[in-house]
Amino acid sequence: MKKIVTFLIFSVILYSFLFAAVGCDLNDPDRDVKRFFSDSTGYKTAYLSLEKLGGSELLKEVEQKLGDNFQGLYETPDVPYTVYTIYKNSDIIGYIHGINQKGQYGGIQVFLVYDLKGNIINFYYQKLTSKKAKDLRATSFSNQFIGLNLKDFENYDPKTGKTDNKKIIEIKNPNPDNNIDFLATIRAVKKNLILMDIFVFNKNK
Amino acid sequence: MNIFQLSYKNLLRRKVRTSFTVIGIIISTWVLVTLLGFNKGYENSLNNDIDGMGFQIVLTAKGCPYEAATLMLKGGTGLRYMPEEIVKEVNFAEEVDKTTAMLMHAEFDPNKGENGGTIVYLGIDPDTYPEMKPYLNFKQGNWFNEKSVNEIVLGYEAAELEQREIGDLMLILGSELEFKVVGVLNRTGTQDDGMIFLPLKTVQEIFDKKGELTMLGIRLKRDADISAFEEKLYELPDIQVVSMAQVKNTIMNLVSSAKVIVFSIAFIAFLIAMFGVLNTVLMSVFERYQEIGILKAMGALPKDIFNIILIETALLCSIGGIIGIIFSYLFSNVSEIAIRHFLPFTPSGSLIKVDEKIAVISFFAIILIGIIGGIYPALHASNIRPLDAIRSDS
Repeated sequence: MKKIVTFLIFSVILYSFLFAAVGCDLNDPDRDVKRFFSDSTGYKTAYLSLEKLGGSELLKEVEQKLGDNFQGLYETPDVPYTVYTIYKNSDIIGYIHGINQKGQYGGIQVFLVYDLKGNIINFYYQKLTSKKAKDLRATSFSNQFIGLNLKDFENYDPKTGKTDNKKIIEIKNPNPDNNIDFLATIRAVKKNLILMDIFVFNKNK
Repeated sequence: MNIFQLSYKNLLRRKVRTSFTVIGIIISTWVLVTLLGFNKGYENSLNNDIDGMGFQIVLTAKGCPYEAATLMLKGGTGLRYMPEEIVKEVNFAEEVDKTTAMLMHAEFDPNKGENGGTIVYLGIDPDTYPEMKPYLNFKQGNWFNEKSVNEIVLGYEAAELEQREIGDLMLILGSELEFKVVGVLNRTGTQDDGMIFLPLKTVQEIFDKKGELTMLGIRLKRDADISAFEEKLYELPDIQVVSMAQVKNTIMNLVSSAKVIVFSIAFIAFLIAMFGVLNTVLMSVFERYQEIGILKAMGALPKDIFNIILIETALLCSIGGIIGIIFSYLFSNVSEIAIRHFLPFTPSGSLIKVDEKIAVISFFAIILIGIIGGIYPALHASNIRPLDAIRSDS
């Protein structure tokens, strides 16, 4: 009997593990929010999708800004995006937002931490499967994104990886012999910035 | 005017009261049909889910956490193995229809989240596993091309999380080799949705577990005695037997506790319907006290008066019963959503299965309850003395 009850409990737990993270949520929001905003007193979570906010027109707009089409089975307009709005008492002090990106060997989850003006104040891979994952996770790589914003990525072409913006050109790939996950990361950052511009920073325009 | 027309017209004379009584009966019938349908539908769905698991019995090494969730909670540790020879031993038994050997392996992934996480791989035999799980359909691709090959099949959720499609590459933790995704399964609503499948031989090789298994799924022949076969399996050394029949019984026991409460509510609804009928018909008898007296003075026998009242009752219950049954058919989906919300565990598939048998049983049950409620007013009416009634003020 005990065995069977254990089986049932574990099954329920397993399903909760397996059905999680279809969109891109922080694994442990309480801990992660405190890690990025040590003076925060709370946060609110909003679930948004391009389908609900503007449908195919908005998708076209995002693709145009991105310079690339949404691809494959999983990059679709109905993907739910989670935006964490961070508070200190009643004041908003920042935002956290993550997206899924197809990488060379698996899904990459890129989270960006924003200030109130839309500048990146932190960069975080929640999930990354790569032979050189350690190099990409190094702070020397992630720190290169701090201070950047959507304007810096405007001319970046994710298909070719080219841009005339000096700040983006200066972002160094820690594994020059394999740039697949590096380029995927830059695309994910640009997409993250575009979506946050629509969801938060420029939503009334 | 015959006795039926008389009864029918009597009901129409008090339209509002008749309507409210019929509504009460409709609700009672609706509840009864839905509950009987739930009783049948839940068991059917549970049977389908358990049959859908593909095997009735799972063998594991004693003390082995045979569920992926356990491995995740334990950080991938605690696996125990049984020798592959057990497959031959079990296949030899005459009760066995099919078996499928599996090897589960958990690896710690330091790049999963802030503190890392556990990834579970399931090594399966491509010859036997698909046969045991016929409900697994592919969204893309198919099973492995060979028994030992660097190929991967992903459950729906696993593919979504890893953003993989057929032809994409994956790395297996603990191995430097690249694996090609050859299949992505459709969503099943089972733990297979989150699974990363590899060929059994490949898992044995890359994780250095040659000749070892974590699980053996067994499907028995239709006429096999599961309990007797389980007893035989208990004799195998260092093996634990997990029977899906036991799991089903446990779930059914848990659900029956909830069902007792629900059936109690249905019983109360029934009582309310019965007393509603009794009250309506009794009031009607009191209101028609003089009229019944005149009928008797004109030659109506007590039996005729009794029949008129009882037919009124039966008409009320028939109309309410039929509409209640129609409602239970029409709104079974709504009831199902409510049940899924409140019950702690619900299988996939239709939870409420209303068929003709349930409809007929419910219809006659509600008429019987109504008639029981109508007997007292009918008796009361049939015993009215004509002269007393005609002389009375009411």
